[in-house]
Amino acid sequence: MSGRSDLDDGVREDGTFSEEPTPCAYTEYREGEGHTELPNTGEGSEGIEARVWETLYGIEDPEMPVSIVDLGLIYDVAVEGTEEGGETHATVTMTLTYTGCPARKMLTDEIREAAASVDGVDSAEIRLVWSPEWSIDLVTERGRESLREFGLSV
Amino acid sequence: MIDREELSEREREAVEELLFRLADDEFVIAERYTEWQIYAPTIESDLALANIAQDEFGHARLWYDPLADLGYSEAEYLWERPPGEFRHATICELAFEEGDWADAIVRSYLYDTAERLRLEALVDSSYVPIRDRVGKVIAEESYHREHASNWLDRLASEPAGRARVQNATERLFPHALTLFEPGEHEAEIVESGFRTDSLDDLRTEWLETVVPYLESIGIDVPEPESVERPDATGRDGTHTSDWDDLHESFTATYHELGFAEPTRLRGEP
Repeated sequence: MSGRSDLDDGVREDGTFSEEPTPCAYTEYREGEGHTELPNTGEGSEGIEARVWETLYGIEDPEMPVSIVDLGLIYDVAVEGTEEGGETHATVTMTLTYTGCPARKMLTDEIREAAASVDGVDSAEIRLVWSPEWSIDLVTERGRESLREFGLSV
Repeated sequence: MIDREELSEREREAVEELLFRLADDEFVIAERYTEWQIYAPTIESDLALANIAQDEFGHARLWYDPLADLGYSEAEYLWERPPGEFRHATICELAFEEGDWADAIVRSYLYDTAERLRLEALVDSSYVPIRDRVGKVIAEESYHREHASNWLDRLASEPAGRARVQNATERLFPHALTLFEPGEHEAEIVESGFRTDSLDDLRTEWLETVVPYLESIGIDVPEPESVERPDATGRDGTHTSDWDDLHESFTATYHELGFAEPTRLRGEP
């Protein structure tokens, strides 16, 4: 998270999150395979895709000690070309909490490189999307615990 | 609904015009806002203007992204684009009256009110990449108008401040109207549903919002129909001399360092 987005995205000035539910326009979600329920944590994925999710779990938000997966930034992971002898290509569909995030390139590069480094992945790309909009509702229970430990009341 | 691959040549030109108007407005007004950092009258307003500028830079990037997907490089859509090819309205580029906080506040109020209306006219855009990002932008805008109107109320509550708001309104109003000047492809933009309201409709809605509000705080608003149209409107590539100076300064570092590919300086492959 960066900048004033923290306010817009439901964090009050005293560090607590507002309880107002932010509706997510799931029906507008046109990227990725089908209509994935969010937050997506990769639960139920298998093989190479599961390994990509596991790797992404190890990446933290640049400003807060919370996994980017638990923060709800990753909407989908899809690996193509897994047939015998194929070139495997991973596509990570993700969003950011704030449009003016100064760490956009840093973070998306880090995520792409991490995905490409996974055993069995030949190349990786990031698809950055802004719909559905990220909101506090996309933070997982584990993410909330991390944020509480950090001192945010969620 | 139309996605990038399905655009006809005419539609593509119209989409590009619409995106350049949106992105250039945001980028250029953000450049201007940054000039107030450390000079605003309170620490909170220093932070507010810095943050509003950051938001608008973020939105500019969001509107330049679909242009990049249409084949423009960052150098082409920004750093190496000739000043006469920028399509922002002149209200975004004018230099501030030196030391006049009311200028920054009135400008923000006039601009951000127009921005809300045009973003709402993009929510049901037929062009998928616009539709998919406009919600995020709208969510980050309401604070801008709140900041501007809080300050307008405060400034207008006593005579000296009100006089400044009055002067700024008279000076900026004709340039704010250039926000609604059509470009070459306006008919196609509306016909294809890229924007669901015409600029004329947006102008009417804007006047119905800003005129009563400014009058309610004691400001005389120029009669829109008798306002003299500025020589330069921005939308057709004509600009004020303030723009030449601003363009030169924001591209100076790029040229001095001989950036061919600016982002490659960060040591990436």
